[in-house]
Amino acid sequence: MTQYLQDPALWALIAGTPLAATAIIRGRRARANLRQEKAELEKRSADLENNYAEAVQEAHTRAEEATKSALKSAMRTLQGLANEQQLAISKTQDKYGEHQLLQDLLEIDHMNSQFGRRAQSIAVLCDGWLGRQRAVASVYDVVRSAKGRIRHYTRVEIRSQSNFALVSRAVEPVALALAELLDNATSYSAPDSPIDITIRTVPKGVCVIIDDAGVGMNEEEKNRADKLLSATHATGVTGLGNPPQFGFAVIGVLAARYGFTVSVDSASPYGGVRAVVLLPEDLLTNMPEPEEQPTTHAPAAAEQPEPIGSTMTSSTVSGSTAGGLPKRRRKGAISIVPRTDATAAARTSEETASIMGAFQRGTQSGRSAANPNREGHDPQ
Amino acid sequence: MTAPGEQEPESAQLVRPYVITNGRGLPENDQFNLITLVTASEERPPSHLDPEKRGLLELCSGGYLSVAEIAGHMGLPIGIVKVLLSDLSSDGYLVTRAPAPPAQLVDVSLLQEVLDGLQARFG
Repeated sequence: MTQYLQDPALWALIAGTPLAATAIIRGRRARANLRQEKAELEKRSADLENNYAEAVQEAHTRAEEATKSALKSAMRTLQGLANEQQLAISKTQDKYGEHQLLQDLLEIDHMNSQFGRRAQSIAVLCDGWLGRQRAVASVYDVVRSAKGRIRHYTRVEIRSQSNFALVSRAVEPVALALAELLDNATSYSAPDSPIDITIRTVPKGVCVIIDDAGVGMNEEEKNRADKLLSATHATGVTGLGNPPQFGFAVIGVLAARYGFTVSVDSASPYGGVRAVVLLPEDLLTNMPEPEEQPTTHAPAAAEQPEPIGSTMTSSTVSGSTAGGLPKRRRKGAISIVPRTDATAAARTSEETASIMGAFQRGTQSGRSAANPNREGHDPQ
Repeated sequence: MTAPGEQEPESAQLVRPYVITNGRGLPENDQFNLITLVTASEERPPSHLDPEKRGLLELCSGGYLSVAEIAGHMGLPIGIVKVLLSDLSSDGYLVTRAPAPPAQLVDVSLLQEVLDGLQARFG
């Protein structure tokens, strides 16, 4: 035993045990602390991550909103200018209708229409102003309007007409959606290949079918198009890709907002894409009646043959033209040169005499009342 | 500019004139001028004619109308109307008639004599 007591190792052991125990305890405590700290840190980092994701989402939303509102107001200005310019061009076209200048004006008009359409498309993606409220228009006219808004419009051929018209609130959105489809069709097909449009009445409404002779779309492109056209979620302006592709996104938003459907998943008979726009019945109406009917004229006016040249009395004033002139509808013919002698024969000799007498009295009273200096060529 | 939410006071035609002519140039020949008279022929037009051409034929169906009048009634630039007219007349749906000859070649002295005569008779 004593040899053990003299063994320094024992003393070292005795002295070391509490130390070791202390060290172990300390170590455990430190580990527990560390564990706790780690848990805390993990929690904090998770919080941070969450916050970060939220912040990013919020920043994204805010940026999207800011972009949208900035673009919206910018586009609104541009749209307003394009409309004003279109009106100015229209007036100039009427003014210089017989000059060769008209040709250039038509080209400017075409460019202005494309410019207006671009601004409108961006405005649609920013939930902005679509523009002019239109009167009820035939489906054929809406398709023609769409045709006029793309660059290569002469390649577009409309093969059929329709007896249906679009309600006024749908005219502009449908025209814009069709224009975007036509723009795609002309952009992704050979420069001289035709684009065919067929208008077909189906049980659910009216279909506008656009066939191009392009290369068609691959699966990936079709999926992207379907996703955008179904418009379950709007992509907004930031999700358009680079370079941005507006077409399908715009069409998707319009289709969802106004309740028509667009599909591009079938192939055209020419090998390209067939786009089908289905306009449901609630967007359709009957063709607007012509502005005035010849039967609305007074029967008294219809009975008496009119003297030649008195066309003003044989017409009723109904509405006014864009230029503010009264719009008159002829009863039958406003022929400068009558086709038959019926009107001349119908005038009796008494009438002729009274007309001549009135003429003579008129000239005499005019002569006596007129100031001789009023007209330069007056011989008196 | 208009305030937000407000519609534009005026809007241009839905179908632009260049679409009506499908981008074709204005006719070179002088077949039509402002006072050329046209009327619908006996030939029945096909049913698939453009609305503008149909409207034009309807307008002319009552008798001779001048080109200027047609343009006024249709609210289209005269050049556009001329394109439509030249299409319709080459397809045989329209008949044209030369305008009444202008009177500028009448002798002034003759007019003076007529005036003197009228004054002597009525004045």
